[in-house]
Amino acid sequence: MDLLRHLRYFRAVAEERHFGRAAERLRIAQPSLSQRIRRLERELGVRLFDRGSQGTALTPAGRLVLAEADHVLAAADRLAAAVARIGSGAAGTLRAAVPPHLGPAAVAALITGYRERSPGGELELRELTTTAQARELAAGTLDAGVVRHPCPAPGLAFGPVLHQPLGALLAEADPLAAVERLTAADLSGRALVLTPRADDPALYDEVLTACARHGCTPAAVHEASGADFTRALVLSTAPPAPAAPRTPGAAEAPGAPPGSEEPPAPAAPAPGGGAVALLPRTTAGPGTVWRPLAGDPIGWRTSAAWPADGHNPAVARFAEAAHEAMRDHAGMRPARAAAVHPRPASEFPL
Amino acid sequence: MTPPQPPPPPERPEPARPPDATAPPAPRTTAPTPPAHRTARSRIRRAFTEAGVTGQLHARDIDTGAGLAVAADTPVSTASVHKVCLLAALYREAEHGRVDLTAAVDIPADGRTPGPTGLGAMRDAARLSLRDLAVLAVSVSDNTAADVLWDAVGIEAVNRTMTALGLTRTTAVQKVRDLYAALAEDAGAAGAAALLDPARVARLRALDPARTNRSTPRELTALLAAVWRDEVCTGAYAADLRRTLGTQAWGHRLASGFPFDDVRVSGKTGTLPTLRHEIGVVEYPDGGRYAVAVCTRAAATAVTLPAADAVIGTAARLAVDALRAP
Repeated sequence: MDLLRHLRYFRAVAEERHFGRAAERLRIAQPSLSQRIRRLERELGVRLFDRGSQGTALTPAGRLVLAEADHVLAAADRLAAAVARIGSGAAGTLRAAVPPHLGPAAVAALITGYRERSPGGELELRELTTTAQARELAAGTLDAGVVRHPCPAPGLAFGPVLHQPLGALLAEADPLAAVERLTAADLSGRALVLTPRADDPALYDEVLTACARHGCTPAAVHEASGADFTRALVLSTAPPAPAAPRTPGAAEAPGAPPGSEEPPAPAAPAPGGGAVALLPRTTAGPGTVWRPLAGDPIGWRTSAAWPADGHNPAVARFAEAAHEAMRDHAGMRPARAAAVHPRPASEFPL
Repeated sequence: MTPPQPPPPPERPEPARPPDATAPPAPRTTAPTPPAHRTARSRIRRAFTEAGVTGQLHARDIDTGAGLAVAADTPVSTASVHKVCLLAALYREAEHGRVDLTAAVDIPADGRTPGPTGLGAMRDAARLSLRDLAVLAVSVSDNTAADVLWDAVGIEAVNRTMTALGLTRTTAVQKVRDLYAALAEDAGAAGAAALLDPARVARLRALDPARTNRSTPRELTALLAAVWRDEVCTGAYAADLRRTLGTQAWGHRLASGFPFDDVRVSGKTGTLPTLRHEIGVVEYPDGGRYAVAVCTRAAATAVTLPAADAVIGTAARLAVDALRAP
């Protein structure tokens, strides 16, 4: 009996809870499907389904088989993928990924560093979000990656975590652009531009929590992934008139103040001031400037990641090269240990 | 406490005989999955993703057996949720006359299992009955109280009780103090700070269901359903067990999904680095009773993570609403 094929049939019936719909999905005849499921039941020596007049339900044994079948089929898929790569001569290729905004210098240093460590080894590098990398590492379509934390951890191992400070990307005309070293609190009340929450929800939340912790409560949050769109958002929301600091009741200033010699602002000022993008040190595009935040209060935590059950020397070389590249070419430092004060409801002692 | 006689475990590999809480009751109509359930499942998965967690859920109508599952058969490290198994065994042993719930136990000032609440946080010697220790173990997840009970009942008796209920994938392998010893050992010299380091947290044995106390969401709701159906113990014992399970002080997880004065929520949380669980029973005034188990693992290692706590309530209500849908 072809166990894998029979397990695939079984899983389809289990998911559809219906032999007819499962047969349709598998593009085989229903009697043939029923026959194969009966054969699987004979082979395993248990009944897998209760076939009622109103539908098909898994037996307790069936539920157990379903949970195990998922593991077996996932392993079989990984095996098939591995064999296919050997067959196509790509076995010497390490499939790896980096997250957006890692910076060109770090990515270049990573590639060079890996080649120096693995003469003859090929590196197939893609740009993927952390969430996508975690998914692909689990599925076996990616061998190693550089991820941002928080990263979903089941089944993964991580290298040492590095802290990449975030700074503010501002419009040149923004009064804050004149300040050499901003604080996070200076950005309170502004609109922030962050990478989309859907890409990495936990990272997005952690950045906003760090903002709140350091006195920055944004008036709004815009989402942008590309550098161009990010810059456009920063430029399109005009900064406040320099003479109009944030004061209660300053709502009567939609245009230039009367008697002002200044040319009118290019657009109506956004409430609280122009938008600010939080990004690692970057070459600011035309019309914008990047400013660090004093004390580096907000950052991205980054590390290499790989499947915990793998023992691949190429992966270890990649992790090492990635760590070095980020440390030496992206200004990242070991993450600082902060004080921890768990609330009583956290249940476990620290 | 002398080791009690075990009830005979089911010998055959067939589905266990009654009281078998894992199997749906026989007269249940096995209709194909209603569309409401499919919608609810996808909304629950989305809610987990948006909260930055990997989540598993099982919800069960205690009276019809109808259920809603999201990865409900994948084993989880149970953390303090296993205190429910401990209490179920305690009350079952008491009903069989093998344990006296009113027996007073001395709890010396030294050698307590650490914990942020209850006896774990108190400093002087105390003397409490087993049933009052049970209240502390549920109301504030008191680790010292739980370990006194683990010592009184025994890991074997708890596991035997689960087996007798047909819960073959619910197993305890350690008491709270052993769990925390492993946690401290894995954290190493860096101590608490290591528990915030993603690389270190990924390697914690306490998070690996193969190496710590474990169950599945489906078995956990089966256990609660058995408690609420008088299948663990009966009469005054069952009533007192349910009362105790209703004393939990926290409202940030399961209960947050049911902010209704006329709905009763009983529950027990479980927490370890990145893990946030709660299992409990939600009772509506129209008689509807639902056992829910929500087990999550957050991507973030932060200890304070309100969104991850709250999604447990959100997911539970989506599930219960689907079970209540006409």
